[in-house]
This record gives sequence, structure tokens and C-alpha cells, in this order.
Amino acid sequence: MPWALVTLLLAACQPPHQPDQLVVASRSSLDSVDPVDVTSFAGGQLLSAIGDPLYASDAAGQLQPRLATALPQLSADGRRARIPLRQGVRFHDGTPFNAAAMVFSLERFRALGKLSYLLDERISAIRASGPYELELRLTRPYGALAALLSSSNLTPVSPAAYRQHRRRSLRDRFVGTGPYQLVRSTPQQQTLRPFSGYWGPAARNRGVQVVTLSNSTALYGALISGEVDLLLSQGLESDQQRELARRSGRGLLVQTVGPAVEIGYLTLLSDRPPLDHPQLRRAVALSLDRRLISERVSYGMRSPLRSLVPPPLPGSHPPSWPAYGPQQARSLLRGAGYCNGRRLSLPLTFRSNVPADRLFALTWQAQLQRDLGDCLQLEITGVESTTAYRQLDKGAFPMIVLDWAGDYPAADVYVTPLLACSRASGFRCLEGSSAAFGSFWSAPGLQRQLQASEALQGPALARRLDAIQRRVADGAAYIPLWQTAPRAWAQPALAPPVFDGSGRVVLQQLHRRRT
Amino acid sequence: MSRRRHLLRYLAGRLALVPLMLWLIASLVFLLLRVAPGDPIDALLGTRAPREAREALRHQLGLDQQLLSQYGHYLSDLLHGQLGQSLSNQEPVRAVIGRSLPASLELGLVALLIAAVLGLAVGFSGIARPEGKVDLAARLFGIGTYALPPFWAAMVVQLVFAVWLGWLPVGGRFPATLQPPAGSGFYLLDSLLAGDAAQFQGALRHLVLPASTLGLLLSGVFANALRLNLRRALDSDYVEAARSRGLSERRVVLRHALPNALLPVLTITGITVASLIGGALLIEVTYSWPGIAFKLQEAIGQRDYPVVQGIVVVVAALVVAVSVVVDLMVALLDPRVSF
Repeated sequence: MPWALVTLLLAACQPPHQPDQLVVASRSSLDSVDPVDVTSFAGGQLLSAIGDPLYASDAAGQLQPRLATALPQLSADGRRARIPLRQGVRFHDGTPFNAAAMVFSLERFRALGKLSYLLDERISAIRASGPYELELRLTRPYGALAALLSSSNLTPVSPAAYRQHRRRSLRDRFVGTGPYQLVRSTPQQQTLRPFSGYWGPAARNRGVQVVTLSNSTALYGALISGEVDLLLSQGLESDQQRELARRSGRGLLVQTVGPAVEIGYLTLLSDRPPLDHPQLRRAVALSLDRRLISERVSYGMRSPLRSLVPPPLPGSHPPSWPAYGPQQARSLLRGAGYCNGRRLSLPLTFRSNVPADRLFALTWQAQLQRDLGDCLQLEITGVESTTAYRQLDKGAFPMIVLDWAGDYPAADVYVTPLLACSRASGFRCLEGSSAAFGSFWSAPGLQRQLQASEALQGPALARRLDAIQRRVADGAAYIPLWQTAPRAWAQPALAPPVFDGSGRVVLQQLHRRRT
Repeated sequence: MSRRRHLLRYLAGRLALVPLMLWLIASLVFLLLRVAPGDPIDALLGTRAPREAREALRHQLGLDQQLLSQYGHYLSDLLHGQLGQSLSNQEPVRAVIGRSLPASLELGLVALLIAAVLGLAVGFSGIARPEGKVDLAARLFGIGTYALPPFWAAMVVQLVFAVWLGWLPVGGRFPATLQPPAGSGFYLLDSLLAGDAAQFQGALRHLVLPASTLGLLLSGVFANALRLNLRRALDSDYVEAARSRGLSERRVVLRHALPNALLPVLTITGITVASLIGGALLIEVTYSWPGIAFKLQEAIGQRDYPVVQGIVVVVAALVVAVSVVVDLMVALLDPRVSF
């Protein structure tokens, strides 16, 4: 009885939810808010609100200058880029943003950043060619330079505030130029207040609290109870996402879907039995009923994908991989000597700590049993993800389901990391990303094609990526499965959330509807 | 030899074993972490970075050194009281523990208080009429709470009180709209000392559900222990003698049987405290309570070797300390205990 009374009393004294501050919930805690440490999507989401990269991708996938005033001006050989910077911008500590600050930030990221390879692979030197002009020397011509520089990890930080942190990270403070100031930060909570000196449009709310809840049930419950205003889909189970979508359909919540940034795909080990025959790999590609898999794994929320590049990026359309064709698959398997009393047994590995992977393995196994049971069967095995990553480049998995998200919105970051091969022998990759990702597949001339595509933009890039993907689809060492688009659900009093081209919610656009 | 000297000798013997035990635990956890497939780079970057970048990061974090060299550095740091730095953000492990441990202890102590009060009340309730309805209900309570899956109980409590009724928060340790109190890390205590009613209320509101759930789950142990030991005490000769001297039943129970029945409960309390020092993982995860068990689970998933090693060693040391204290208390209170 006394316990119940205490509970009632505390409930009665419930502090009001501040109407002018919004509460955003996600699953990942943040041990550090320093761009050199951030590797998670949640960290990128926070940096996108408190930081300001040189460029940003809008919801339509178009790159817009932010701290730059124009797209990079490339030299004739494509190896030097000059970027004019915005003037009159101040950091949160009042110090001015200029080329020297940008050089400091980028060099610091190169020295300390866990994702420093973003710059190391592309940029050999950085200097200020003027007080408001940045000059980059590129390792080779790169058409997606602006997209690279839109990464939230490359947001500038105040040299004055980070003077003592040139060689070590500053975990719980951030001083950038973004529309919000980070007022307070713990791993579970971050408090953002609009920066009064922001150069761009003011935030449409009076502040945001970002909170972490460690499991999907708590996240779901917090949104339903009204404790949080906005919930991001990372970390939510498919069942819960479906229920939230249903509630949105009934007007109880507001849902927005962002651009797909993550793809799910199969890697097939192409240099040793049983999948060293392209014919068998093509049969596997034809045996996938992506529509069924999408329904069973994610209630349709992970849309089927037949391209390595997710839309709306160039190279995503038309799809290069074949659609579901069980008869064609059967024909190929028969040609290889299976189906007439002889079944091909294929091991499929999935990451045991990723629920969607497990569901995929079970669904596909059952679907094959139904459609090609006399020709093909799967033997599924679960392996913890860290173990799987460690063993990939050792050729430990004949088939494994993985996912991939680009570090920035550019088509080549979905293609090159999977296919690049620095040393190949015919169709076998001996050294390079293709080996690191477990397929060990290449094709004569493919590496040259990939490198040549990096310098291209627009329709020329799309055509080149289309040609590359057709070759990859023919080799069938990689088979795209689905695309995952981020979702956000908000209380009905809020206007629909807006996503940027990197799949992050634009927090400064969050606001309550006028009633 | 006097009893006091026996006790001191026992204490010295226990304390002498502590360094050996901690060394064994530290070495075991060091080895097990490195034997497990995958390393912090794999956990941090997955398949993202090219091989050269991953190797560079391994080198930067000292993970490419010989195992023996890493072990030597680790032991040397431990002997100097250094627990190293987190691999994910270079935060000193001491700071990580300093932030997480008070959260677990605060939760554990309040839960223990609830468990003791509730458990002892239930355990005592059926004593007037053994095998009666109240006694049966008490037994069912003891068994039922012990058998409840913690995560299920926590989710049901969360669903009812936080989601359906909206009375209390779903999770977390402190309201997002307030600044946590500074000080010891025990938010209730720090806010009381600061005289900040809003902070105190905020901390208490977030503590009610996880502490009540954990307390409920633990109370069955106390209820059963008291019930069984009180039954045994009431059947003993000295109680019979007390009754034959004409003492009232109330006096017999409260002054003779109950103190003796509480001694085993004290031992159980000590064991419970020792287990709570390491945090109640399922409760912490369900309620997003940023305690030591939750942090340990995160660190294991991230293969953050220094954090895992540091937490295990510190928790082991605290558990040993608590068990020694409980043994001493039992020895001091019970003259029958000898060493």
C-alpha cells in the first residue's frame, strides 16, 4: 500500500513535458561527440545538427553548399580542387570560421579520426590558398568530392576550443558552427539549444533533447506514452516499425521515410567450390524471391533491390540483377548436373546477432524448399557479427548475408568498396576489397573501369556504373537483396520530420504544427 | 587463542588471498577476450574501412603488439592502479567505472531495501498460522517471484506503469530536461545534499520502476529464507524452554526466535549485495539504466578490452570486500561461529 501511494504521488507530481523543447530518442549511446570518434549513425545524426560540413545533400539527393559557397573548382587534370568558403560564419565560441580553421579540422581528422580513410584514400594535401579558400590535392580525380565533403565527420571544429585536443579527442564537448550548440552531453543524453549566431535559417524549435533508450521495447513504449516526441527507426524491430506505420496510417502518429542509405546483400565465395562456377552463382541469383523475402523479413519495409546502388543515386536504375526466375534457375542447375536426383547443398552464414539476417536465412531456406527443393538446399549457420567480419577475408563463408551503408551519398561508395581489386588473376581477386569482403571476385579490366568511373559525374557516371553493375551481375559474386530506408515517427502535434540526403532527420526543421 | 585473535587471523588469511585471486581473474579475462574471435576494430568499423586503414588503427591502439607485451603492460598498469583507456573514445576506464558503478549501486541498494522489507514482511506473515492460507500465499509468493524471468517482469511493469498509465518514465536514469546533480554519482543523495527538489524528484521517478522490479524479484529469496529459518527456530529447544517459562508467544517470536532466524538472512543479504555490485544486467538493459552491467555488456560487444578488464577486476575486488565484511558481521553477531 505505501508503495502504491508513493507511485501515485510521484505520478501526480510529474514534471510537465517542456512544450518548446523536443525529445528525440534513439538506441545508440554516444561515448564521444568528437567527429574523430564518431562511427555510428546516431553520432552522425547528432553531428548533422551541431556541425556544418562544407556541403550537404538535400532530401532530393542534390548537393548544396553549406560552409562552402560553391561546388569545388577542379583543375584541368582533376587533381586539385579549390573551394570558396562562406564568410561571416562564427563557431559556437564566437571565433571566426575561415580556411585555417577548416585546414585544422581536416588535418586533425586525418591524424585522429577512426574514419580517417575517408580522406586518406582521396586527399593527399590540404592547405588554405586564401583566408576563405581551401585547396585540396587529390590522389586521383574524384567526381564525388563534394559528396565526400558532405560527411558529417568532416564538420569543422573551433581551433581555439580544440587547441589542447590536437592529438586526443574531446569527448563531451563540441564547438562547431552548426545550427545547435551542444549544451550538455552524457553518453545517454545530449541537450541542444539553437545557436543564436548561426549564419543560416534559425531552428524552428527552441531546443532538442536527444536521449538513448537501450532496447527497442523501451523506445516503442516511450513514443506511445508520449514521453518522446520523435523516434528514429535504428534499433527498432520490424514488428514495432510495422505497428508504428499502422498507427501513422490511423493518424495517431506522423511518419516520414528517408532515402535508402543501407543495402542488404549476399556475398558468394567465387574462387572455390561449390560456387566457383558462374552458372551456379547465377542460379542462386535467380532463385531469390525478393518480394516474399521483403514481406516476411520486414513486412515490406525493406524494399527489394536489384542494384548495388540504392536510389536515388545514379546507377541505381535500371536494375542490373535479374528478377526472380525459378525456371531459369532450375535450367541452370540442371545444366550443372543437379536436380535429377542430385541436390546442391549450399552453406549460408548469417550474423546471429542481427535479427533480419536470421529471418532472411530461414525465409530463403523455406522458399527454396518450396520452389527448387529437388535442386537446391540451404544449410544455414549463425555466427556473431564481429567473428564474421574477422573471417571474411579468409574465405571462410561460401555465402554470407551482410549489409552496407555508404559513408556519404555517392554511388561509388556502394560499388568500389565491394569490387576494387589491386591484384587479380583473371576472374580471381588476389588482393583488394573484393578479397576483404569475401567474394574474391574480379573481372579483366574491372579495376580500370572502377577507377575511371571515379572521375565522372552525371549521366556519364550513371552509364559507366550501369555497365559495371551488369558485369558484376553476370559474375553474380554479389547479389543485392534489399534497401533499408530510415524512418522517423513523431507525435501528431509535430509537423512531419524532414530527412536530408544522408538519411538523417533535419532537427532544426522539427516544429509543432500551428493549431 | 582468544576469539578476537582467531578473527584477525582469519581476516588476514582472507586478505592475503585477494591479490592472487585478482591476478587470476585479471589474467583470465585478459586471455578470454583475446581468444574470442574479432577485435575492437572489427566491432568498431565492421566491414567499412579498407585493410590498410584497419591495420593503421590497430597499430594506433596498440592491438598489433605481441600478446605477452600487451599482458605485461596490462599487469604493470594494474599494479600502479591504472586501468587503461577505453579503445572506443580513449576515456580513462576509471572514469567509465566512476560513472556507471554508482548507478548500479544506487539501484541495487534501493532494490535491496524494497526486497528486504517486502520479503521479510511476507516471510513473517504466515508464522501465526503455519500451513494456513496466508502461509501458503507467502510460499507461493516466494517461489513465484524467484521463478519470474527478470526481463519479462520488467517489460510488464514498464508496459503497465509507463506506457498504459503513463505514471512513470519508460527508462533512463534522469529526466532529459534537467541537469543531473554533481557529486558522488548517487543522484538521490547528491540532489538531497544540493537541496534541489526537482532533481530529487526526477531521480526518484526514474528509480521507482527498476528498483521496484528488482526488489520484487529479490524479495522471494528473503521471504523463503526467513520463513524456513523462523520455522526451524520456533521448533528448537530454546524456544520450547522459553515457552515453558511462561513467556508470551509474541515475546518468544520477537525476542528469541527472530534474531536467530535473521542470521542466515544476513548471509543471504551479503550474497545478494555481492551479486548486485556487478549490476542487474537484464533490469539495466530493459530500463536503459546506465549501470555497470549494462556498460560491461556494451564493452564486450565492442570488444573494448580495457573497459571489460577494468570492470571485471573492480567488481571482483568489491565482491571480495563485501563477502569478507559479511563474514565478519556474522562472526561478530553469532558466538557459535568459530574460525
